[in-house]
Amino acid sequence: MRSWRAWLMRLASTFRKRRSDAELSAELERHLQLHIEDNVRAGMSPKAARRDALMKLGGVEQTKELYRGQRGLPWAEEVLRDSRYAGRTLALRPGFTVTVILTLALGIGATTAVFSVVDRILFRSLPYPHDEQLVSFGVRAPFEGLEFMLAPEYAVLQSQRTPFESMTSLTPGGADCDITEQNPVRLSCPVVESTFLSTFGIRPIVGRDFVKEDGRTGAARVALLSYHVWRTRCAGDPGVSGKVISVAGKPTQIIGVLPADFEMPNLGPADLLLPQVLDEASLDRNNPRMLLRAFGRLKPSVTIEQANAALQPWFEDSLRFVPPQFRAEVSLRVRSLRDRQMGDSRVGAWVLLGSVVAVLLLACVNVANLLLVRAVGRQREMAVRAVLGASRARLVRQALTESLLLALLGGIAGCGLAFGLLKAFLSIAPDGIVHLQKASLDPRVLLFCFGVSMMAGVLFGVAPAMNEPAAGWIVGRASGAAVRGVFRQTLVAAQIAGSVILLASAGMLLRSLWNIENVPTGLDAQHVLTAQISLAEHSYPDISKQLAFLQQVEGRLGRLPGTGLVALSDTLPPSGGTQATFFASIEVPGRPRVAQGTGGMVGWRMVTPNYFQALGIPIVRGRGFQEQDRAPTEQPVILSQALAAKLFPDEDPCGKTLRFTAFDRTGPRRTVVGIAGNVKNNGLTAEGDPEFYIPWKNDMETYVGRAFVIFRTPLSPASVASWTRSQIAEIDPTVPVEFAAMTERVDKLAARPRFDAVLLLLFAAIGVALAALGIYGVVSFLVSQRTREIGVRMALGAEPRSISGMVLWNTGRWTAGGAVLGLLGSWYCGRLLRSLLFGVKQHDPWLLLTAALILLVTAFVAAWIPARRAARVDPMVALRYE
Amino acid sequence: MSDKADVWQGTLALMILKTLESMGALHGYGIARRIEQTSGDLLSVNYGTLYPALLKLEQEGYIESEWGTSDNNRKAKFYKLTRAGKKQLERETRDWRQTQEILAKFLGAREQTS
Repeated sequence: MRSWRAWLMRLASTFRKRRSDAELSAELERHLQLHIEDNVRAGMSPKAARRDALMKLGGVEQTKELYRGQRGLPWAEEVLRDSRYAGRTLALRPGFTVTVILTLALGIGATTAVFSVVDRILFRSLPYPHDEQLVSFGVRAPFEGLEFMLAPEYAVLQSQRTPFESMTSLTPGGADCDITEQNPVRLSCPVVESTFLSTFGIRPIVGRDFVKEDGRTGAARVALLSYHVWRTRCAGDPGVSGKVISVAGKPTQIIGVLPADFEMPNLGPADLLLPQVLDEASLDRNNPRMLLRAFGRLKPSVTIEQANAALQPWFEDSLRFVPPQFRAEVSLRVRSLRDRQMGDSRVGAWVLLGSVVAVLLLACVNVANLLLVRAVGRQREMAVRAVLGASRARLVRQALTESLLLALLGGIAGCGLAFGLLKAFLSIAPDGIVHLQKASLDPRVLLFCFGVSMMAGVLFGVAPAMNEPAAGWIVGRASGAAVRGVFRQTLVAAQIAGSVILLASAGMLLRSLWNIENVPTGLDAQHVLTAQISLAEHSYPDISKQLAFLQQVEGRLGRLPGTGLVALSDTLPPSGGTQATFFASIEVPGRPRVAQGTGGMVGWRMVTPNYFQALGIPIVRGRGFQEQDRAPTEQPVILSQALAAKLFPDEDPCGKTLRFTAFDRTGPRRTVVGIAGNVKNNGLTAEGDPEFYIPWKNDMETYVGRAFVIFRTPLSPASVASWTRSQIAEIDPTVPVEFAAMTERVDKLAARPRFDAVLLLLFAAIGVALAALGIYGVVSFLVSQRTREIGVRMALGAEPRSISGMVLWNTGRWTAGGAVLGLLGSWYCGRLLRSLLFGVKQHDPWLLLTAALILLVTAFVAAWIPARRAARVDPMVALRYE
Repeated sequence: MSDKADVWQGTLALMILKTLESMGALHGYGIARRIEQTSGDLLSVNYGTLYPALLKLEQEGYIESEWGTSDNNRKAKFYKLTRAGKKQLERETRDWRQTQEILAKFLGAREQTS
């Protein structure tokens, strides 16, 4: 208590020093007067009295000094004084100061911003307790990207001993559902097993979790609300559980509310959780081919490999259900939840992180370099100070203050930059980078980067001051300069190497981006507008109703004013995917079926006759569909070139018949009427599956509740969109319609590589700039160190040209060394980047050489300026130098 | 130097507090003289160290100061004890007594055994 009070008083008194000083002087003067008077009274002469009084006091100034030591906070005042001095010295050399601060800011800013982005992908734990125990498991098969499980096999596993503490499943596709109350709204309503929340370790914040009974056939309908829905629709009512709402037209009881940070393990949206009905009764009744996504929580100390081994017997057993010829293509997969979530975001994240760490290192090297250069430049000042009585500790403290001040300023600038960069990242980032929208500046990272640059600053700022200032410094004879010159050159070589690697990597990504943007999509996206129509399950429960609606839509939209084409399809290239079947299931009469395996996947779509023309897909052989093909009796099919080549390698396929046994088993033979050009339908970089088209009929048996309308029209998209909306609203105003220009859809596919390439290019540019700065700094320093030597050479008749040549040659050696090192590094990095590259050789010699060349030219220019300065040295001035 | 004992560390504060308690408000020189007199001129106060000690006590809140007029009508800074200072004085006095007793016993015991 008392000491706190004293400390505060001392702090306060640092701010009213002057008044307190005056008061002390008055007090001491008074003291002396009183003492002298006493002494005189005791019989001393006035002079002796004064002398005695002063002696007993121990000197006025000494007393004041003692007093001040007690009064304020001496060390704080000293720090303040040091920083003020440091600030003045830094301000004297604005060039140096700004360079260091900018370098630090770049390093800190870029690293922090990027780390904030990748942190969630690579390091941050998932929002589940003990998330390292969570795995996703299931069967991998060619027709499905993610591991899955068939419901009956899952049921078998439930009755067995598993490596899991608990396991759970959800129904993929996360069905949309509608709350049909006062104001209807479409929500995402994932359907999950009753063990879902307990397996992931989540508890509802209000109400209860699902129980086993909720998942029985015929159980009362219940639902869990998401936090968001609870807040917005129920105003956060704590008594919400027990209330009944209408979900998809059926009364459903709310039993609880999910926590605010709840996240689906498949990262899908979730407004409402519904229980999955999965018991014997439902298994018999439902489609036995119902797919599930299964998740488990491993028992403590069970590894993923052990779990995989433990599930093997079950997997072997479940293979019974797989037709023998497909078995080789089916495998078991158990992987951590993080791996499943992050997928291919991981490689990109590591690349970004690696490049940004390289930038941070480059920045540190630069700062170190600049500080070293400066320290040598100040040797004389240090020596003078030492001679004048400054202790070594005092010198070190001064150097430290300066470095810390620089680091602090750089750090502040870096924070600002990080903030700006992160905003920029978010604005150019494509969809689908996991968690990106949630990224925020991470104070831990900021601190870390700050720490690193501080360390660099302190280490290299103080190291020179640790040396005993040598007497020789005063007359300008720098000691050890040659040794440190080599050290600096090595630093520069390392910088060049790092920059070459960054540049080469950025170059590879750019090339890859170029390739991706120039992939032929097989269609003409200009002047094409698409509209997606989704039909709600509750108002269009059966296929015939859906088709009737779409028939009306087609009829109305067909009257599009002006010269335009309108077509309908169930899916859309180049990224909408297709319905798919096995190649092996295509039966060509008179030919044996493929004996082994699936033969790969074959996509298919239902399209109206205008489809090919509207999308600009050429019919290379035969004809397109016509209106009469939509009659119930007609069974035409159009193959893509790829499928035609695979099915009928050496014949003309037109007129041939075939049967798709997988999806219309008993169906009729279909006649090939034409061959269409190949189209990308699973993204630009993925190998396009061969595909076929069948005509859109109004009496189909399968329909997925979603259709695309394709317009090819010279009219403005906005006017077409509003016209379409009004037309569809006249049929049913509740049906949502989403528009997108085809060019936009195609463009989106390159967004991710563009993002990667832009970021890496940015870092490469920063790296090159830093390297140039570093070289410039070191060469100018070396030149200024050798000014006298150069003067002597010139006086002895050396040509200015040979002087600058000498300087350049010296730089060139180190730069070339660094570049070679960089090329080796890039070679290695090419392998790491492999999975991000498309159509680029991982070791493109031209790319590597270009990167090295850019660096060499940069280095040359950076060295040229001081080299020219060296050549223009006046011998007379140089000899008198220092 | 002189045969007078210097005030040893830590006791100056106690002496100042005691002096102020018995004398009321007093200026710095007065305090120093008073301490010397009380000790029967056996102690010599280093006047220079007196002022930082006064400042420290003031910072800790045991004394407070005020400019006032001395007997012969001249301005001087007067110090006086605060309530907290009184308590602190009592506490320190008690502590000193205790220390003294212990030491006395200890020294007495030694004399008997030897």
